[in-house]
Amino acid sequence: MKILFENVNLKFGRLELFKNLNVEITGGKVFGITGKNGAGKSTFLKLAGKIIKPDSGTVKIVDAETIAAVTPEMKIYDDLTALENLNFFAKLRNKKIDAEKIFNRVNLSIENLNIRAGNFSTGMKQRLKFAILLSVDADIWLLDEPTANLDSEGRNIFYNEILSATDKIILLATNDTKDLEVCNEILKLP
Amino acid sequence: MKFSNFLEQTAAIVRKDFLVGTRRRASFAAMLMFSLTAVASLSLAAGGAVIEENLLAALLWVVIFFAASAGIAGTFEDEAAAGTLATLKLYAAPQAVLFGKMIFTLANLTALTIFLLPLFLILFDCAVAQIFLLLVTIFFGVVGIAGAGTLTAALTVSATVKGGLFPILLFPVTLPIFLPAIQLTAAAFTGADFEIDLLILMTIYDLILIVASSILYDYLD
Repeated sequence: MKILFENVNLKFGRLELFKNLNVEITGGKVFGITGKNGAGKSTFLKLAGKIIKPDSGTVKIVDAETIAAVTPEMKIYDDLTALENLNFFAKLRNKKIDAEKIFNRVNLSIENLNIRAGNFSTGMKQRLKFAILLSVDADIWLLDEPTANLDSEGRNIFYNEILSATDKIILLATNDTKDLEVCNEILKLP
Repeated sequence: MKFSNFLEQTAAIVRKDFLVGTRRRASFAAMLMFSLTAVASLSLAAGGAVIEENLLAALLWVVIFFAASAGIAGTFEDEAAAGTLATLKLYAAPQAVLFGKMIFTLANLTALTIFLLPLFLILFDCAVAQIFLLLVTIFFGVVGIAGAGTLTAALTVSATVKGGLFPILLFPVTLPIFLPAIQLTAAAFTGADFEIDLLILMTIYDLILIVASSILYDYLD
């Protein structure tokens, strides 16, 4: 399982974000992406997930099919309960889930399962997004500032989960030094 | 993707849209309020005067078109505004998103016409000579609006200037449906003979709209 960036070029107007970028990201490792604001961390994730296309060059995904993400711009349904959100995304990926078990993994109280996500705090929503990520069991995880809004307990749960997910390709875009400590490889964007 | 997976994904999206729709109710309320206001004000303006069936048929389709415009535009726009569209596109297959939204829109339009049609007939004191023809015409009409409307809603969702764009784009695409629909509706009101070719034309155009939407949707984004 790997993702290959081959001579990737990408421009936004006059801003040249990536020039002849060549990167190989292999499965079983946590691949960190860091860099100042506007360096292209989130864009790198979108390219890796084929959510956007490069101007030239190729991004190849080898031996991996499904993608899941926890990013600030990917929201959950506020009008659905936590359970409905979990079931909906699992159904989209044809997965049968034990919602209580998944909620336990992210340490969300089971009483919250039938509460609408719109009533959740930002940190709880982040845990719910992470629960959805776990429930769909995708090959590739795209994580953009995933520990933002998480308390220390939430962070530890998150770190334990990504460190034990050795059969995944995990891309972690962050500027948080604690997040970077769990990465096996780090790409620093200029 | 397997066809059974596609069906499951489509069904999940329809179910989700029903849940969100019944809890939020904004899109359906907009359609309902538009049709209620339009029909009530038109009937008050008519003041009990006898209106020709051709004109009545045209009025009915004008109200359906603009009421549909008021609701369908939100199909993708509401999701984009809530930030859930990106998530949906990541997790679901594009065709499942399109057909899920299309089926939900069709159900919404069917519910709208179930409310609108009796109201329209009562307020305009309009008799229906051929009820089956009227129902079939309305069904094929709303299928066409749902097919073209869903793709148009997907097209306009990323436009920076949205106001008025949706009906402007939708109208020329749905015009080939309205013209036979108006003729057939008038025939249903009067009981006059009608050309079956017009119904066949509507059916074929509906199919073209659905297939074209399916092909074109893959090129969006």
